[in-house]
Amino acid sequence: MTAALVIAALVAVAAVLLAALPFLRDPSPAADRLERQDELERRTLELAEERDRALAALKELEFDHRTGKVSDEDYRRLVGPLRIRAAQTLRALEPEVPEPPEPPQPAREPTPPEPVPEPYPPDEITPPAPPLVPEPGPRN
Amino acid sequence: MAPLGRAALLVAFGCLAYAALAGGYAALRRRKRLALSARNALLAGFGATAIATAVLVAALLRHDFTFTYVAEHTSVGLPARYRLSALWGGQEGSLLFWLLVLTGYSSIAVLAARRAGQDLLAWVVPILGTIGAFFAFLVVAIASPFHTQMAPPDGLGLTPSLQNPYMLIHPPMLYLGYVGLSVPFAFAMATLLARRGDEMWIVVTRRWTLLAWAFLGVGQLLGAHWAYVEVGWGGYYAWDPVENAALMPWLAATAFLHSVMIQEKRGMLKVWNMLLVVLAFCLAIFGDFLTRSGVINSIHSFAQGKVGPWLLGFICAVTAGSLALVFARLPMLRARTRLESLVSREATFLYNNLLLVALCLTILWGVAFPLLSEAVRGQTVTIARPYYDFFLRVFGLPLLLLMGIGPLVAWRRASLRALGNAFLGPALLAVATGIALIALGAGSSRPGLIAYTFSVFVLASIALEFVRGTRARRSLAGGSWPTAFGSLVARNRRRYGGYVVHAAVVLLAIGVAGSSAYQTVREQRLRPGQSMEVAGYTIAFQGTTEGQSSNARELRTHLLLSRGDRSLGTIAPGKNYYPAERSSSNEVAIRHSYLTLEDVYVIADQIDAKGGGVYFKVLVKPLVNLIWLAGGVFVLGSLITLWPDAREERRLAARYRAEGALVRV
Repeated sequence: MTAALVIAALVAVAAVLLAALPFLRDPSPAADRLERQDELERRTLELAEERDRALAALKELEFDHRTGKVSDEDYRRLVGPLRIRAAQTLRALEPEVPEPPEPPQPAREPTPPEPVPEPYPPDEITPPAPPLVPEPGPRN
Repeated sequence: MAPLGRAALLVAFGCLAYAALAGGYAALRRRKRLALSARNALLAGFGATAIATAVLVAALLRHDFTFTYVAEHTSVGLPARYRLSALWGGQEGSLLFWLLVLTGYSSIAVLAARRAGQDLLAWVVPILGTIGAFFAFLVVAIASPFHTQMAPPDGLGLTPSLQNPYMLIHPPMLYLGYVGLSVPFAFAMATLLARRGDEMWIVVTRRWTLLAWAFLGVGQLLGAHWAYVEVGWGGYYAWDPVENAALMPWLAATAFLHSVMIQEKRGMLKVWNMLLVVLAFCLAIFGDFLTRSGVINSIHSFAQGKVGPWLLGFICAVTAGSLALVFARLPMLRARTRLESLVSREATFLYNNLLLVALCLTILWGVAFPLLSEAVRGQTVTIARPYYDFFLRVFGLPLLLLMGIGPLVAWRRASLRALGNAFLGPALLAVATGIALIALGAGSSRPGLIAYTFSVFVLASIALEFVRGTRARRSLAGGSWPTAFGSLVARNRRRYGGYVVHAAVVLLAIGVAGSSAYQTVREQRLRPGQSMEVAGYTIAFQGTTEGQSSNARELRTHLLLSRGDRSLGTIAPGKNYYPAERSSSNEVAIRHSYLTLEDVYVIADQIDAKGGGVYFKVLVKPLVNLIWLAGGVFVLGSLITLWPDAREERRLAARYRAEGALVRV
């Protein structure tokens, strides 16, 4: 009985300590605010979801066309708007590059821009910015 | 040790109540350390519940009859494995087990939600804390498993029908399913509370929903098999309200798993998905209510529980609160795209959703109407099997057909020509099969014939999908057929894993149709030396024997089974008598045919042990073993779907890079 009560007390103390840990670890933090999406982050995430949706839809369409589920005619009608939407979201997600200032020295090599991270792994889908009037892919 | 159990449960309740209240305040006021503290309290709640469970398990294994629960649900002669399963064999223990699973799931969910933003996770903790605190309150104040008494010399034992190996696995599977639905519910509500319009909650809970759904599915099949081999009435599903209790959330979760794909791919059905998550969670709690309230008289339910009104109140509060929240956030959930065509993949998903929800609500009405009738009018009404069978045909057969149509239809829009090309092969094969079945005499049952014909159509369309997909993959990447097949499945596990699950449902449908629409039943009283004929089998009664196990007297009849001139061996149906439990059980004999997948199922009753007659009921059930085979295929499909996909992980990591800041201890 006594042992059981001692163990019970230890369990209670351990629980209280675990719950109090964030306060014990950092008694007076510089900031104690939970991060929240701001408008820019919300819009970026929305665009990223839209981009993934458009790219996934393109991938699906390509595959369905290849398997014969989508006719050439349907493919031609559907692929254009999807490619435009994918390209639009990709463009919207690109970081805005400020207008370059007037070059002070004309004979200087320009610095190459930072590579934009691939939204999709390279083996996943056809790259963006395709022609707006596509050629239908080969059918089996 | 009972005081330790009680104290641990009190600590668990305190921790979970703190997680709910402090977590809610932290999320509202955006207090980071308080949110972390609430999350840690949730983890501590799991630890304390685990200690309480360990105390009860130790008492069960040690025959500590000073625990009232142990004395009421075990006996000295009860084998150790069933003493362990007594943890979920009674009201109080099963509630404790529910709490253990819930707090365990909650802890893993909040620790593993790496991608979830701080604001989302901050709301998940108080929601899971509230659900946990409610169940902790039940085991602390209403139905404690730690009441003590003067130890009697022996316990009352476990209900005989629960003394079966399936009881070691079937209830835990169902609990893992029921309780697992709390996680998607918590994330969905947290999304609304945090005013987030994105789909992170779907990404984070995708596997949780699949896992809970798979556990519920497997749990039900195991329960069906338990009923088949142990309950001894010759069937596997009786539309018992408690059986329906597990089926309803599974149907709602199935609808959600389909419709959530439309949200992911098209950004549509956001409100519908929220409602389905709420429905699935509330039905899971409703299942708990049906089992534990005592309102249902069923072999599955616990007698006259005190927790019923509390569970009912909780369901009402959750339903009202969730619906109010969804309603308040309607502007945020508005879709920006519309259905382009009524002949498209997303349209078939929509039809499938409507049928699944209609079937689910019809079953709910069948379960709830007798309860309402008794509560409101004081009249006892029974809704029997024909009601459920009728609606299973009305909604189930079109659902079966849709499983074949869906994969053949493209997303967005499909032209008639493309549809014609895709449908021709499977449709011709299905029609040819139907004609052949009529010629073979299967036309005696129209629903059975339709189910078989649709099943062939679905299987053909699934096979066609795999063949076309593998061919396309091979033309893209080259390599051998097996390599292309492996690559096809690995690249889209959800789609092809889903097709395997569809194949499992088809096997289930064939098994159900075969074993119910085309079964043969015969009943006869035989004396030793006499025999009977059933569907080409001859059953000769040889005599009876009596034996003794650790806790039961076992009476067996011995029957020689043969078909034509070929002997198929001896089978021994009988009865067990349990003195401690003052009860008996039917011990049926089943002879499986692994070639035809048919069973000969024999029940022996009114056994005269002194060499007199025995009443036999013999059922010949064609294709019934396909139902159990479907279980294996279902697990395989679920595993394929659940298996992590590195490509997908990379893609999602890129999407949520900005949300990478995690809540840490």
